[in-house]
Amino acid sequence: MEALFSLLFQTLILVPLGFIFGRFSEKKHLKSLEEREDRNSKILVTDLKSFTMLSSTDQRAEMLIGEVTIATDYYKSFVGKLRNFFGGEMIGFETLKMRARREATMKIIEQAQEKGFNAICNLRLETADIGGSTLSRKSAITVSILASATAYVCNKA
Amino acid sequence: MIVVNTETVPGYEMLEMKGIVQGNTVRAKHAGRDIAAGFKNLVGGELKGYTELLTESRREAVERMIAQARELGANAVVNVRFSTSAVTAGAAELYAYGTAVILNKID
Repeated sequence: MEALFSLLFQTLILVPLGFIFGRFSEKKHLKSLEEREDRNSKILVTDLKSFTMLSSTDQRAEMLIGEVTIATDYYKSFVGKLRNFFGGEMIGFETLKMRARREATMKIIEQAQEKGFNAICNLRLETADIGGSTLSRKSAITVSILASATAYVCNKA
Repeated sequence: MIVVNTETVPGYEMLEMKGIVQGNTVRAKHAGRDIAAGFKNLVGGELKGYTELLTESRREAVERMIAQARELGANAVVNVRFSTSAVTAGAAELYAYGTAVILNKID
């Protein structure tokens, strides 16, 4: 009886709650990302190991790091569990991961902008598994991304 | 579309760099495959279902990356890197990223 009650509580209250607030926070995050990406669109971002088009007059370079951890909402976890049973693409988690990556990259770009660089090379994006949450089915799903890159000044053609 | 994991392509020169392009996908196999994989774990051998899962995911991620490069007007993606991660048990994420460039053939 108690198990049935907790199941009902989960599906009738937590899932809609997660749907409403999760949607809201995701939309807000995507909007802020788009704004910031537009603002900093002039910075050249590559994952090349070499300094392409390095400026001959200003040869500064600095490593920058950006980290971010985002949690899922209850709705996404619920849909994810269903998907895991039937198989197929998990769109909710795809957007979640991409959001985290864009945020981590954005943090680096903003630092570069602040320090007067106009290009970033050797961008590396690492997925960190804090707390080993992906191994157990019960704990909440979180996504952590560690981004590192080198900022430099390039003379654009 | 030329897709390589080196920084340069022999016989081509780089005309313009368009910046980073990326593609990802998160996929799962149905519970039947998960159970079959569980049994396979007892006797050993290739987990065909999961191999398939990774192949499908990799293809999808690369396709998405190429689509982004096309949108930017690039004709090649260089320095492609792959990264995988587990989202939940039984589901895998594949992520591909590279630098979109315009290459020109050297005569």
